[in-house]
Amino acid sequence: MAEMVRKSSVGEIVNHWILAGSCILLIITGFAFLFHLDSVGAVFGGYEAMKTVHNWVGVIFGLSLLVSTIHYLKDALEYDADDAQWFKVAGGYLSHKVKVPPMGKYNPGQKLYYLAILVGGIAIFLSGLGIWLMKDNSTIMLLSHLVHNVAFCIFVIAVPVHIYLGTLANPGTFQIMINGLMPLSDAKKKHPKWMKAVGKM
Amino acid sequence: MANDNSNNRKAILVTPELCIGCRACQVACKSWNQLPGIKTKNTGSYQNPPDLASAAYNIIRYNEVPSQENPVRWLFVSRRCMHCDDAGCMKICPSGALYRTAEGAVAFDRDKCIGCKLCVNACPFDVPRYDADGKVTKCHLCFDRIAAGMNPACVKTCPTGALKFGDREELIGAAKKEGFATIYGEQDLGGLGSVYAFKEEPKLYGMIENPAIPSSVNFWHTYLKPLSVIGLGGVVAAAAIHYLAIGPHKDNNEEV
Repeated sequence: MAEMVRKSSVGEIVNHWILAGSCILLIITGFAFLFHLDSVGAVFGGYEAMKTVHNWVGVIFGLSLLVSTIHYLKDALEYDADDAQWFKVAGGYLSHKVKVPPMGKYNPGQKLYYLAILVGGIAIFLSGLGIWLMKDNSTIMLLSHLVHNVAFCIFVIAVPVHIYLGTLANPGTFQIMINGLMPLSDAKKKHPKWMKAVGKM
Repeated sequence: MANDNSNNRKAILVTPELCIGCRACQVACKSWNQLPGIKTKNTGSYQNPPDLASAAYNIIRYNEVPSQENPVRWLFVSRRCMHCDDAGCMKICPSGALYRTAEGAVAFDRDKCIGCKLCVNACPFDVPRYDADGKVTKCHLCFDRIAAGMNPACVKTCPTGALKFGDREELIGAAKKEGFATIYGEQDLGGLGSVYAFKEEPKLYGMIENPAIPSSVNFWHTYLKPLSVIGLGGVVAAAAIHYLAIGPHKDNNEEV
């Protein structure tokens, strides 16, 4: 078997699954509230129970998002000249002929995606608390309702892209979400700057 | 939202000049809807209770409008749900607890209410109230009575004709023929289901001018709701096209 290198720790894998699972559950129940999807409500035993699920899964999502900052925030804030070049060739996604510059552990698309989820996540978490707990303050309630729905649009657009890029678009990537490992040979090709930094190249 | 049943849309016409402030409408409403009495305090006005409540679907507002030639003047204005054609409460309700009846009334399904109070914040007229169990209550135009061909309880009991119930267009037409200067609610919010025949400015009767659903709620309803579906569908379609047209990354390319 090929030599493997660890890309994600067990903690990262577990937290990412909690974040992903809670996020998808929140999106489904969110759509059910938005468009009165009675059949989805019925799965939870009615809208009132679905509201309780939505609220408390939102708390789990918020906590998981907080934990994720330990894993990704530092990397997501560092950019270099190769990252700028990466955008010029669109990460190689629009053509297989362009030369993609050498990358570190994460490419700038991933880093910006994380920041979008972090900012959108904080907004949707706080506005969710506003709708949940500040019912008698009309200003906060209406502002929260607006922010919650704007952030919802960010999520329903960004998350499917992330899932596509992590599965079908990049065969082999999904395995990292299972065991955290990728073949050393792949890592040298895809993340040369990361491999150099940890002394494997 | 255009009302599908605009041809047989029903309404209550309130004519303050005919009202004697007897509050029989308040009592009849409590009687039909089995609402308990409310303990109140004297606040220096005969208006009682002071505002709509979970056990008071309608009240008579005792507007005191003294003037030089008429130092003691009351304008009695019956207040209840306006049954807007474009109803903010219905728009924002996430569980479908607020709904429109065939007669055009905005009624509520208590069992569907999840107690979020969004409707309270979206109503231009500050109408919905929450009961002790955290469920929405408000005037429902006696949807159970009118569906059976009866008048709402308040209208049935009104001794002077200050409250009239019937075909919305006919009521408005009759009031105009009688020469009332303002028909409040004829156009507002797609047309209200509680319309008022006024001789003077609506402000004098304590009515808000140009009632409107909060603009953030309209923006959300018109743009954000469709965007969420179009956005999700759009990126899924884009991913499928990308997969077929360009295809997954080959070796020598980094992942995302």
